Order: sequence, then structure tokens, then C-alpha cells
Amino acid sequence: MENSAVLSVDHLQTCFFTKKGKVMAVDDVSFDLLKGEILCIVGESGSGKTVTALSILRLIDHPGRITGGKIMFGKKNLLELTIRELQDIRGNRISMIFQDPHSSLNPVFTTGDQISEAITAHRSVSRKEADARAIELLELVGIPIPEERFHEYPHQFSGGMKQRATIAMALACAPDILIADEPTTALDLTIQAQMLDLFSELRKKFNMSIIYITHDLGVVSEIADHVAVMYAGRIMEKGCRDDILKNPKHPYTKGLIDCLPSEKGKPASIPGTIPNLINPPEGCIFHPRCRFAMEICRLRRPMPSKTNNEHYVSCFLYGDI
Amino acid sequence: MVFWVRSYIAKRLLHTALISWGVMTTAFILMRIGPNSPADKYLAGLGAGHNVTQVVAAIESRYGVDKPLYDQYFSYITSLLQGDWGWSFGTSMPVMELIKTHWIYSFQLILLSTIFAVVLGIALGIFAAVRKNTAADHAVAFFSFAGISIPNFWLGIMLILIFSVKLGWFKTYYDTSLPMFSLENLHALVLPVFTLGTGMVAGYSRYVRSAMLDNLGKDFVRTARAKGLPESIVIRKHVFRNAMLPVITIIMLDMGSIVFGGAYITEVIFGIPGLGWMSLKAVFADDYAVVLAVTLIGAIITLLFNLLADIAYMYLDPRIRYE
Amino acid sequence: MKLAAYYWERIKRQRPAMFGLGFIIFLIILATLGTYFTKSPTKVNFDEKNLPPPGYTVEHSMYSAQNESFITTLQEGTWEHPLGTDSMGRDMLAQLVSGARVSLLVGLLATGIAIIIGAVIGVTSAYFGGAMDDILMRTTDVMMTFPFLLLLILIMYLFGASLTLIILAIGLTGWTGTARLVRSETLSLRTREFIMASKALGAGDLRIIFRHLLPNTLSSIIVLATLSIPGAILAEAVLSFIGLGDPTVASWGNILNAGQGSLETAWWVAVEPGVMLFLTVLSFNFLGDGLREAFDPKGE
Repeated sequence: MENSAVLSVDHLQTCFFTKKGKVMAVDDVSFDLLKGEILCIVGESGSGKTVTALSILRLIDHPGRITGGKIMFGKKNLLELTIRELQDIRGNRISMIFQDPHSSLNPVFTTGDQISEAITAHRSVSRKEADARAIELLELVGIPIPEERFHEYPHQFSGGMKQRATIAMALACAPDILIADEPTTALDLTIQAQMLDLFSELRKKFNMSIIYITHDLGVVSEIADHVAVMYAGRIMEKGCRDDILKNPKHPYTKGLIDCLPSEKGKPASIPGTIPNLINPPEGCIFHPRCRFAMEICRLRRPMPSKTNNEHYVSCFLYGDI
Repeated sequence: MVFWVRSYIAKRLLHTALISWGVMTTAFILMRIGPNSPADKYLAGLGAGHNVTQVVAAIESRYGVDKPLYDQYFSYITSLLQGDWGWSFGTSMPVMELIKTHWIYSFQLILLSTIFAVVLGIALGIFAAVRKNTAADHAVAFFSFAGISIPNFWLGIMLILIFSVKLGWFKTYYDTSLPMFSLENLHALVLPVFTLGTGMVAGYSRYVRSAMLDNLGKDFVRTARAKGLPESIVIRKHVFRNAMLPVITIIMLDMGSIVFGGAYITEVIFGIPGLGWMSLKAVFADDYAVVLAVTLIGAIITLLFNLLADIAYMYLDPRIRYE
Repeated sequence: MKLAAYYWERIKRQRPAMFGLGFIIFLIILATLGTYFTKSPTKVNFDEKNLPPPGYTVEHSMYSAQNESFITTLQEGTWEHPLGTDSMGRDMLAQLVSGARVSLLVGLLATGIAIIIGAVIGVTSAYFGGAMDDILMRTTDVMMTFPFLLLLILIMYLFGASLTLIILAIGLTGWTGTARLVRSETLSLRTREFIMASKALGAGDLRIIFRHLLPNTLSSIIVLATLSIPGAILAEAVLSFIGLGDPTVASWGNILNAGQGSLETAWWVAVEPGVMLFLTVLSFNFLGDGLREAFDPKGE
């Protein structure tokens, strides 16, 4: 049975208008998020993953702006909603958690208050009911003695506990979609594993779809259903997990996988760095670092082509030119 | 309160005591290296017709000028600590009594000006911050710059010239025989409050704007928006509350210089019988003990506000309160 | 020199700072050359008292003993006194020029003294640390506790007023901000490699302080100095205004003091020195702000 997409991002383009020029942080990005799945967006830092995620909820700050595309959530295009309509969706139908739990909680309010606030913003419940629900949520994300923790301030929580609290906050209204932007990067390795289990468990419990943003292919292999590989603001390759990890097509994805530490020895890295996005290279944006670059790669931009079911790759090595 | 907080306050109190001692000592040294002895000053203040030798002897024994320096210093400190701040020859009463009758007028002026400045300064600061880089923001910035640069004693004179001399809207006579908060006196305080308040508004609006902008860029603001909170709540609750922490501290730290800077001059211009007015009168009447007492009080008030700012910060910031 | 040109480029872009610089240059020219072109600021002439600036007329009522009644005369300003005269017939323009000289003298000299003392105390405190740091910083705390104006008034009261004393008093009490700033900047510099390297090479304390530490805090010092000048100018003006200034020179504060008494008869006497004072303070604030922006490495 073909699953239906709960969210489809279509030709999204987000630019930052800096003093030095226009930076195309996200350029022509399209993907579908299916009901109940975990989609991983993977790439090096600076590849535009976070900007893509922020664009979905239109949380891009000045000087950035979404300059094109559509983001369909059900029948609504999120980019065309008024700010009030969007506020009804944020934290209610689509939630987001951020990379650094230390700075994403307000230090002067209790953690509990910040969770209750997410409930009262969308549900007409009394303060007391919201607090009770918040305590349940804290318990659900694995915080011991939630009744006490509820009244504590963020600085009294450890890093892992803070991130659990932000997850509780994101789940406050049982959203359809959870966007997690590198939620474990700022945490210890041991806590990372627990967090990944938590995400898998919550996905089932809430029957929600998750967009999980990471630079870590190890994480991808553990939780992803589908994967989109981003580089310099563009999607290089997307498909289901096994296709991407076991049978990567794009030279960039291959490079990323080769970089993983293995028994053979030291991890390698892809030579070169992410290009300057104010004056990006012509043609395929990866060609300056690509071992297989051909003449055409310098001239034309590759369009995604289908290699087999659901596996798309944007590279001239594959498909018709 | 945890032990850590208590020991912190104890440490601050000790520091305050140490500085107070330094302040008193500095005043003592200034007094002693001045070209005129207290007796000379008193004589100048008394004018003719007194038995000079008797007065000199009385004053010298009161101040112990005949005793060795360390003795003088010791008795100076002990009498200050006992609340004996000297005798005002100009008004023939203890300096403490004089201060007790005058401080309330300074307090009233400063209270009203502070309320005016805090309300308007915060409003303008928020307004400018949420409209960053628009024409409105530039207008506020321009006003702030002008407000900080305009000498407040000149502003006072200009207000008198325009609103009192030319237009006749406000009288500027503070009548101590009427109740302090009588309509007449409040009316007479409009221009003084504006004179003292303008610079404060300008300063506060700048602090508030920059504190708001600092916090608008914080991650937790993005979290609040991602929760779907309306922008008004994001600003009022999440940004404002955090921005107020440094602002309250700065307002308190500024208090000492406002009480004995701006307010001093404002009282002099408008004839409000507060501490500043009293002190300047004492300067011209050569009323030595009063001048010294007001200087010491200025320092003590500054110290108290510094201490208060610390405690307020500790109370308002949960990161320090619960540690 | 290249660096100076680079900063000049960055300051040039800021209009308020350029306005400030322009006015300050104008003021310096006025103060140095103005006296050659104006009348004597102290020449009293009761026949020409309370003359308004040209273009304005004022009524003067005078009691005439002969007629035993008030005679009202209309007085018109003349170009002889382009900014009018005060109640003693002294030329306002000449007084303002003299006031500019006083204000600049006080602003620059007092700030200079304060900056030198502050820099020496700050750098010594940070460089030697320990007990030296404790003593100097507690002294700074004590100085900071006195409200600036009260301390000045006390000093004027005790020692009597003269321009020299005013400059010294402002300089000797106004160094605390610089001391703290220089101390904190030096503390962060002290452990940097190039300081460690010169120490390892056997450079003496004085050499390190003067060759390395102070030059590296120079940009902050320049900004602070520029922003302190208006404070010093205002302090002198306030003292003169309340009658504790040097009575022998015409300073803006003195003129304002006189002007306050004649608001009803000669408004311009109170308006003109205030405008000068305001523009001067504004200019230094603009320039100081511009310099801070220009020196800010984040401001690229």
C-alpha cells in the first residue's frame, strides 16, 4: 500500500540577504514526508539542513527569507498562511526541537511553565489541567519524579534532561509532525542512544511523522525510513534507508559513507570544503570536489533522476542527460 | 535561601562596610588638607559680632583640632557612627535634623521622575527594538541621543522660559506650606520632573532596546515561536522578562548619580527644598558640616543602591537564586 | 599609518560622527582664532545692555526719575552685536567664544589627566595583581562611590574655585572608569602569547606595559576618552552654573547662570550658551559612538 504524504516540500528556496551578497542556503529542495515515517535529512554542517527545517515552520529570521516553492501540509500551503493561521499549526500540528537544549529553554521560567504554555497556547484548558498534562508528558519522555521536576528551572536540569523536556514541550499537543534538528549533537554519546530509542518509541505512540536532521550516518542507519542527502543547499540523493546506505549512487553520498570510521583504519574525508554560496560554482554544485566530474558537470545542473523505485539521484553519472 | 546565597550577601555587606570606611576616611582627609580649618569656615559663616576666640575655642574643642590627628580621626568616625553628624551653624540645628526635614522633597521629585522615566523609557525601548532599523527606531535613537546630550540644567531653564515665562502654563514655585501631594505642588513639579526625567528616559530606552535585541536573537525565543505562541506573548513574556534583568540592575546603579547629580541641579533651578537645594545653600552660607554630611550621604546612598542592585539581580535571576 | 587610514574610511561612512567631528573642528577654530575677531568678553557697557540679536526687538521699561513714570523703549538688535548683549552690555558672541575656549580646555585637559591616571592605575593593577590589585581596586571603588558632582562641589567648597583647580579636580576624580576598563582589557591580554613571549625574552615590566599592554588597549581608551570629554565639559558648566566656577572667566556655565536671572528681559542670554553646550556634548557623543563602531571588529 502506498503511504500518503503528510507534508510535501516542493522546490523550496530560502535565501539570506547579507551585506556581502545573496546566499542561497536552500536551493530547489523537494521531498515528501510520509505518515508515521522517520525521514532523515543528512549532510555536513552548512549544507542547509537546518534552514530547510526552519523554513517549514517559517522560523527564518532576518536577513533570511523564503523566496520560492511550496510546502503543502494537507491541503494548505504553509507559505501562504497568515501568521495567525501558522501559529495554530506551530507547536500544535507541527512541532520542532532544536540542537542545543541549553539555550532553547528560557532560563527565567520553570521548565514546567514552558511546557504548560505550549498546551494553553492551543487548547482551551485550565492552567491546572495544562500543568497536569505537562507532568504526564515529562513522565512520558522519561524524566524521573516529574511532579518535582515540573517546578524546577532549566539550569537545574542536565543536558539530556533538558532535551527530554523540550521533547515533552514539542509533544504537548500530540503533533502530526515532529521536526528534530540534530537533537543529540550537544549531548553525550551514551545519552544519544537513549534519545534515539525515545524517538522510535514516541513515533509509534503518537503515530507521528518525524523529520530528523543529522550529520551522523550512524544515526541514520538506526532510525531512518527514508533519507535525503543534502549538500550546499541542494538535495543530492534521496531514497529509502537501505538503498542510500548500502547502494549509494551519488559520489557525495559515497564519500560520506567512506568517511565513516571502519575496521580498515582511519576515516577519510572528502577533499575540499563546502563552496561559497554567494558565488556558487556553475553546473553541479559538487563538481569541484567530485572525483568523477565530467565536462557537463561544470556546465549544467543535474536534475533528479529515478534509478529504481523511490531512489532519486541528482548526478550526470546516472539517467538520461 | 541556600548557604551560598547567604555567604554571598555577607560578603557584599562586608565589602559595603569596607567602602563606607574608605569614603569616611577620604572625606576626613579632604577636610584636613583643605586650606581652611573648620573654625575658619564657621567664622566666615557666622559673620561679625561674635566673640571670635570663644567660638574658635568651642569649635576646636568640638572637632578636637587641638588633639593629635589619630585622636581626631577616631572621634570623627565614632561620632559619625553614632549618628552625630555635626551642628549646622547656618540653621542652628543638628545636621541630622536638617536632613530629616529636607530629604522627603528630594524623594518626591526622584520618585515621580523615576516613574515617568521607567514607564516611558521601557515603552520606547521595546517599541524601538521590535521595529529595529525602521524609521520609528531611528526616531527613538535620535531622541535618545539628544536626550542624553542635552544638559539637563539648560533643559530646565528652557522649559521655564517657554512654559512658564512665555506661555505661563506652569508656575514653578514649590510651596512647603501646602501638602506635598497637593495639586499646586504637583503642578509645580511637572517641569522639574520633565527636566530630570528626560535624560533618564533617553538612557533607559537605550538600555531596554539593546537588552531586548540581545534576547530577541536567543534560541529560546525561537523555541517560543515554534510552540505557536502569538508574537505579542513571545515579546511580552519571553523577551521582556529576560531583558529586564540587566535593565533593573543598571537603573539601580544609576540611582546614586541621579539623586546627587540631576536631581541636585533640578532642585536648585526650580527651588525645590530637597537635599541638593539645602546643600548648595549650605555651600554659600559656609555651613561646613552640612556640605560634608550631604557628600557622605551621597556616597552611602550610592552604596546602598549598588547593594540593592546585586540583591535584586540575585532575586530575579533563578540561575543565581537556586544554585 | 595604514591602520589609521582604514579606520578613517570606516568613520567617514558614519554621518553623525562626521557631523560631530566637523563641529568639534569648528569649535577648536572658534576657540583659538575667534578671540582675534571678537570684542572683549568682559567689556561692560550699560548703554548697550540687553540688546537682542539682530532681527529681534524687545521692550525695555525703565523708571525715569525725571518724569516719575516708566518709560518703555523698543530696542532693536544691531549687527554690532550679532548675538546680542547681556544685562551688563557685554557682547554675547565674544563671551561664547571665550566659553568655547574654557570648555575645550576643561574637556581636553581634565579628560587627559583622568585617562593617564586611569590607564596607569588600571594597567598596574592588572599587571601586578595580588595585593596591589586589591588596594588599587578598592580605592577605585571608594572613588566611584562618591557621586561625581558632590565630590566636585566639596572640593570647590574646600579649596575655592579657579579654572586650574576645576580641571585638576575633574581629572583627579574622573579616572575610575578608565582604570576599570584598562584593567579588564589588560587582564585578558596578559596571558596572550606575545606578552608571554616578551616576558620569556627577558623584557622588563615597564617595557611590557608601555610597548605591549597600553598600545593594545588604545582603541578602547580613545573611545572612552572621547565619550568622557562631554562629562568633563558638563561638570565645569554645572559648577559655573550653580556659582562655584571660576568667576574671572566667561564660561558657558557662568553665562547661563546670568541668563537664568534675566529670562524675562533677555531670553537669548540663557539660550545661546546652552545651544553651544548641547551641540558640543552631542558632537563628542556622536564622534565617540562612531569611533566605537569603527574600532569594533564585529562591525565588518
